[in-house]
Parts: sequence; structure tokens; C-alpha cells
Amino acid sequence: MAERWDRARVLALAPDASAQRAARSLASRPSWPAAGSGPDLLWGECRGSASAPYQTAVDLSGPAYRCSCPSRKFPCKHALALLLLWTDGMVPPEAGGPPGWAAAWLAGREARAGRSAPGQPGELKDPKMAARRAGQREARVASGLAELDRWLCDQVRQGLAVSQQAGYRHWDDIAARMVDAQAPAVAERLRGLAAVPHSGPGWDGRLLEEYALLRLLAVAYRRQDGLPPPLWETVRSRVGFSVRQADVLAGGEPVRDHWQVLGRRDTDQDRVRARRTWLHGRTTGRPALVLSFAPAGSDLDDSLTAGTETEADLVFYPGAVPLRAIVAARHDTVRSGPPGGDTVTGLLARYAAALARDPWLDSWPAVLEVTPARSPAPVVSDAAGDALPLHPEAGPGWTLLALSGGHPVTVAAEWTPRGLWPLTAWDEGGRAVPL
Amino acid sequence: MSAWQDLVTASLLGTERAAVPVIPVPGSPRLDGAPADPAALVLDHAALLTAARRGGRQPGRAGPAAGTAAEPETAPVVSRAAGRRLARLLGGEHAELLPEWLTTAAGRGRRVPAVLLPALLHQARRAAVAGPELQRLTAAAGGSRARWLAGLNAEWSFVLAYAPADEDAWRLGDAAQRRGYLAALRARDPGAARELIAASWDAAGPGERVMFLGAIADRLSLADEPLLDGALDDRHTGVRTTAAALLAALPGSGLSARMAGLARECLWLDPGPPARLVVSPPGECSAAMRRDGITPVAGARAGLGVNRDLLLLAVIARTPVRTWTDRFGMRPAEILDLPPGSWAPVLFAGWSRAAISQRDQEWMAALTNLALTRGLPAWLGPAGVSGPGTLRLLARHVDPALITPGPGAGVAGPVGAAIRDALDTLRFRYQMVRELEDDDGAG
Repeated sequence: MAERWDRARVLALAPDASAQRAARSLASRPSWPAAGSGPDLLWGECRGSASAPYQTAVDLSGPAYRCSCPSRKFPCKHALALLLLWTDGMVPPEAGGPPGWAAAWLAGREARAGRSAPGQPGELKDPKMAARRAGQREARVASGLAELDRWLCDQVRQGLAVSQQAGYRHWDDIAARMVDAQAPAVAERLRGLAAVPHSGPGWDGRLLEEYALLRLLAVAYRRQDGLPPPLWETVRSRVGFSVRQADVLAGGEPVRDHWQVLGRRDTDQDRVRARRTWLHGRTTGRPALVLSFAPAGSDLDDSLTAGTETEADLVFYPGAVPLRAIVAARHDTVRSGPPGGDTVTGLLARYAAALARDPWLDSWPAVLEVTPARSPAPVVSDAAGDALPLHPEAGPGWTLLALSGGHPVTVAAEWTPRGLWPLTAWDEGGRAVPL
Repeated sequence: MSAWQDLVTASLLGTERAAVPVIPVPGSPRLDGAPADPAALVLDHAALLTAARRGGRQPGRAGPAAGTAAEPETAPVVSRAAGRRLARLLGGEHAELLPEWLTTAAGRGRRVPAVLLPALLHQARRAAVAGPELQRLTAAAGGSRARWLAGLNAEWSFVLAYAPADEDAWRLGDAAQRRGYLAALRARDPGAARELIAASWDAAGPGERVMFLGAIADRLSLADEPLLDGALDDRHTGVRTTAAALLAALPGSGLSARMAGLARECLWLDPGPPARLVVSPPGECSAAMRRDGITPVAGARAGLGVNRDLLLLAVIARTPVRTWTDRFGMRPAEILDLPPGSWAPVLFAGWSRAAISQRDQEWMAALTNLALTRGLPAWLGPAGVSGPGTLRLLARHVDPALITPGPGAGVAGPVGAAIRDALDTLRFRYQMVRELEDDDGAG
């Protein structure tokens, strides 16, 4: 992927000031139901006044533009807007390669430029092109992860003690290299590590855990051939290869169940808001995680509300512990009471079993029947007296305490290595209260 | 696990300086093709131990603190709609109406939903200096759950001061505990609280005397008049003005009668026709008026003596509003129909303050309806008294069910904005009171 341009460079391409203005107002994710990027190529579909969306593509190596809109300006506002979106980091790399129309255009350009074998119409080259680009990406990721491995070993060789004095740059630099290597999920994880040295006692152990798991990922990627296919899918997704929803839907078996919505947790990361919604299948007993994203400042998908139950077909992303899922079809939504609560030992056993299949798994849905308390840090304990701490960053837990009054309550939470992150509790009336 | 700690120590120092510890991971596979790099070895061992430690984590044991639960509630929780409105109030919407919500809920024997208690306790604690009233109301409407939470968080201990306590809280407690004891006693036995105050008055400092008067304000009656009248001669201004304000809110008090006597000299009805109000403001602020809490303000222009607008306003505001209805033989709305002349803004502000402090709903409703239907500069306009400010106060105190929205909302400028604000407040309060009367039984 070409290095990102800055906005000034994009706006300088505009034929006039009104095109600049129009492009700025179109450069937001809601205007673009679909957008993706590959090496040197951006593509997207922009909602316009016409019934069909405009198809826009930009070849960054030219640059060259293509758009199905009728504008005679060149580049048109759609192409400029797509570039602006990309400079803002909101055009994600797409592992599956460009859609047919964009690939065809690019192939045609390459043919005309004499960069590829002559005499072949563009469309026929699609699969080959896609395979070539996918191969290029695999190679980049492999060399990027090898670099990461060397970096991790360097950290341990020099000693982690120095990282308490290191600034954010220390992790941002290696994260940026992972972005260049097209391993965005690894980059995200590395950026998050800058806060660890200042996270209080035990930071050294937590940093070592994270470094160790990252090296484990790099090693696993290298040993692809020895891995069972589901684990290989897990490794790929933790590196940052995205799977297109269409491919998930085409490849997976729909799981029909009454899915209870346990709760959700929103995070803001780098101009994108993410929402994690945890579900629990009443019949299958399966946990599921539905992710949704929105640009900073926009509203997230609100259709799955804690305390409701939806009869739906879910299709799971492939992996060793399939958690992430797409709601393929929704049939009926009703209000539901609290889900059945687990014990603390039951939760820990289930998490351990999942961890055995996916060692990187660090958040797992929990529904517990517990009494919250402070001793003095917030904890919850079940009827057997087994206790778990709350996550130190999950707040003081007063709402949960107030709801319980010292009596057991049903709590849905995310279990993480640092403690429970409460999401929802059910009050005496059996109603869900987001925490 | 000491093996893990050894690894952490080695990685902290760096494998350049520290030896790689030998890790006996039970049942671990031999690390095939184990890397020669000691740093890589540390990371590989750490990965194994991380998974083992996470997967093998043992639960802790519940401490003794987990033993005590809240006492059962005696009051039912408010309706769900009322709870949602309380959440809005706590979020900052119409925050000034929070005391009314709590008063109404407590008055109807309802309590705050448990989930909202932390936010309410937090706000009440911040209001400690400005308004102990919010703390008292929080304690009154918070139920046993609020007391239980207060036992867990020292910042919320003010709640416990309002629980029935023995006399030690009064004899030995700090200021908050004494205030709580007195407020609880006043709610239970107003006469006993009055006697306790009278007995403690001479030994108390000015700050505590103001606190005493704050406790008297709850369940105020003519029986409190001798105590309050004596306080009019107090050495401290704060005590005097507080006492005067309470006496003015008490139709039938000597202060009210004195003010009514003055007011009759200032305002009378010319039967006409056409009938009209005639105004002649007091020319000076006598010593007797000063004792009754009126402070003269210098006039706008030098040599004019006192500001007679403000003097008239002070007298009307302390006069029982029923003086006028009785004397003119007219309903409040009829009085407000009379041509007001140029004194209208002063009369409007004075009557409004009197009606609010004396809790006269008919007068408040007539004044509010006047402002909403004929929200004209003649009544609300600039004359040294803030018509919009007065309307805002009326909107917070009048019974919203008595109000008929008129065309005033269409008026432009600050008067129109004030009218729209008032309508918004009235609508909010109307729904608020209805929700608190509702019983959805769902809990």
C-alpha cells in the first residue's frame, strides 16, 4: 500500500474550489456504503442522487481516476472524497481484493500501459490479478512479522525496564511498520501497549505477556503449514486479514437460535468507534460476538439491545474458537428476562477450555449470579464464596453495588485476564440495566 | 508462581545482563527447534506460562465485607416513567427541578430506583455547601439502599446524619450530624424541634442560627412566630434576613400585618369607571421597615433618595396576597385584568414573589397565565426588575395543571424566549408530577 497522502495533496488535485467543497462534504463513511483499498488502489461506492451508487476507483500510482458519475470535472468530487476518506484512515485494506468493476478498470489500465501481457481483455485477468495481489500481501505480512519478532526479542534482550521511560513513539514506530506490512490488527495491539508501563503494579508482567503472545503470533504465522485450518484462520484474523462478509455468509453454516443480548461495550479507536455486542444462544448455549463500526461522531448500530432476545440466523467467522458472527437473518425480537447465571468456577473452566484452542483469547462472555462488594477494590463473589476482581479500569462499580444492595444479582460481563468488565445487570424486576 | 516471576525479572533486566531461568512447565511439549537466542527463549516460555496462568486461574475468596446486605425497603419504588425522568434530571436537564422531584416522591412515600442512587448521592454531596436541602431530600427519598451505600462510601455519609439518631448526634456530633438530627426531629415533632432550637439559640453562633432557621422552614407554622420575631433583632444580617423571609411567607404573622398596613397606603382601587389601580410607592424606608428585613437601595439619580420602585417591590412581596383579593373583592385574575399603568412590572414581580413564598396557587396561576397570554412588555418589560426572571420562578412553583398556554410564546425577543422557557418548564413539571402519581406496579 502506498504511503498515505495528506489532505493538502489531495485537495490540490481538485479542478476548482467548488469540487474541493463538494468532496469535503462527501468524505464521510455514511456516504460510502462500501469502500476498500489494495496496494496502490482505492475503490468505493458512493451514495448519490441516482438510484444506483456511483462506482469510484483511484489508482494511486498514477494517480488515475474512474467514476461512474456523469460529472465532467476531472477528478470528480467522488474520487476526491474517496481520497480524503483514505487520508483519514477510513478506507480499510481489503484482503479479498477489489470488486470486479474496479479490478477490470485497473487491468485495462495496466494493459494499455503495456505493463502486462497484451491482447487479454481485462475481465479475464481478474482471478490472476487477485491471486497475485493476495500473494504480494502474504509476502509483506510475513516479512513484517519477521521484523516484529526481531523487535520483540530486542526488547527482551535490552530489558523491559527501559520501556517505562519510552514515549508513545516507541510503540507507534513499530505499529506504523506493521501498518505498512498490512498487519493492521497487530499494529492496533502494539499501539495499545504504550499505556501498559503506566498501568500500575504488575505492568512488567503484563507487558511480557503481550510481547510473548505477539511473538507466538509471529511464530504461528511462519508455521502456517503445521496449523489446523481453524487455528490458521484465527492467526490470520489476529494479524488483521479481514474476511469479507459475503465470504463469511457464503462459507458458513447459519446457526438458528434464540439469541439473548447480554450486553455491549463501545470503544473509540483512531477515528473509528467500535461496538462489541455479546449474545448467548438459548438452545445451543453458544456465545457470539457481533461487531459494528462507525466513524467517530456518528451513531453505532443500536438494533441489538441488552435484555432482549432475537430469533435469528447467525453465521460465524471461521476460527479455532468461533465467536465473531454476522446476523444473517432476523426473525423476531422479544423482551426477555435475565439469562441463567453461571458460577465463578464454571466461568473459569469454560474460559480455560476456549483458551486451549485460542491462546490469544483475552475476552470471554460471562453471565454470573454474584454479589458485588468492595474489599476495598471492587469484587464479585458467588454463592460458593468464589470471588473475582473487577477490571481496574471498569470504574468503581457503584451502580452494580446499588442494584444489588448486597444481594446476589445476575451480571453479564466480559472476562479478561485483568478482571471482569461488567456490561449489564438485571434488577429485581428482571429488567436489564446497562452498566 | 515463582517461575513466572523469575521470567519477568529476567525480561526486566534484559537477557544481555540476566540469565534465562530454567522453567519447569508441567506437561509442556519440548520446544522443537528451540531458538538459540535467549530472548526468544524467554518469550516462548512466557507465552506458555501466560496461557497456563490464564487458563489455570483460581478464584479468590470472598472477604468478610461481602456479608452485610441492605435492609428491606419499606417504601415502593417510583414508576418507571418517573425513574426515567429522574435520570434526565440527574443528567442536567432542568436540574433545578431535582428538589421538587425528590420532595414529591418522598411526600408520596416513594423511593428512588436503586440504579440511580450513585448519581444522586454524587450530586447531593457536591451540593453540600450550597444546599443541605438536597442532602435531606436524598436521604428522605433514597430508602434503606441509600443508607446502605452511605455505609460503604464515606463521601456519602451525610445520608446517615438524617437517619433517626439518639441525642449523642446532637450533643457530640459535627455540624452535618446536628443539622441531620434537627431535620429528622422537625419532621417527626415540629414543636420539639422548635423547643430544642429555642433552648440552644443563645449558645449558637450566627452560622448555626441560620442553620436553625433552615430547619424551621420545613413545616413552618404560626407557632414558630415568636422565635422568628425575636430573630429580627439579631446582631447578624444573615439571621435577620432569613427570619424576615420566613415571617413574610407566613400570612397571619405580625410582620405580614405590618407589611399589609404599609401596602394599603401604596396601592388602592379607583372604582372608575373605568376601574384602575392607583400606585403611590413609599417615600422612605423607616426603621420599622428595616427591622422587617427591607434594605433601602439608593436611587438611580443622585439626590432622589431611595429607589422607590424597589421599596414598593419589597413591601408588596412581603404582603399576604390575600390582602388584595379580600380588599378589592375580586379574584386574582380579575385584579390582573385592571389597567396596570406604568407600575405594572413592579406589581407583577412583587405579587409573584409573595404568591410563591406564601404558596398561593390561585395567585401564581393567574400571574403565570397573564404572562403567557399577554406576555407583553407592559407587565414584563424593563423597569429595574427582571420580568423573565420572575416568570422563571413562577414556572418552577405554580401547579402546572392550572396553566393554559396562550399566544405569548409567539412573542419575539427576550420576553418571548422567557415565555417559551417557562412553557417548557411547565410541561416538564406537569409530566413529572403525573409520573410520580402513577403506579405502574412493575417496580
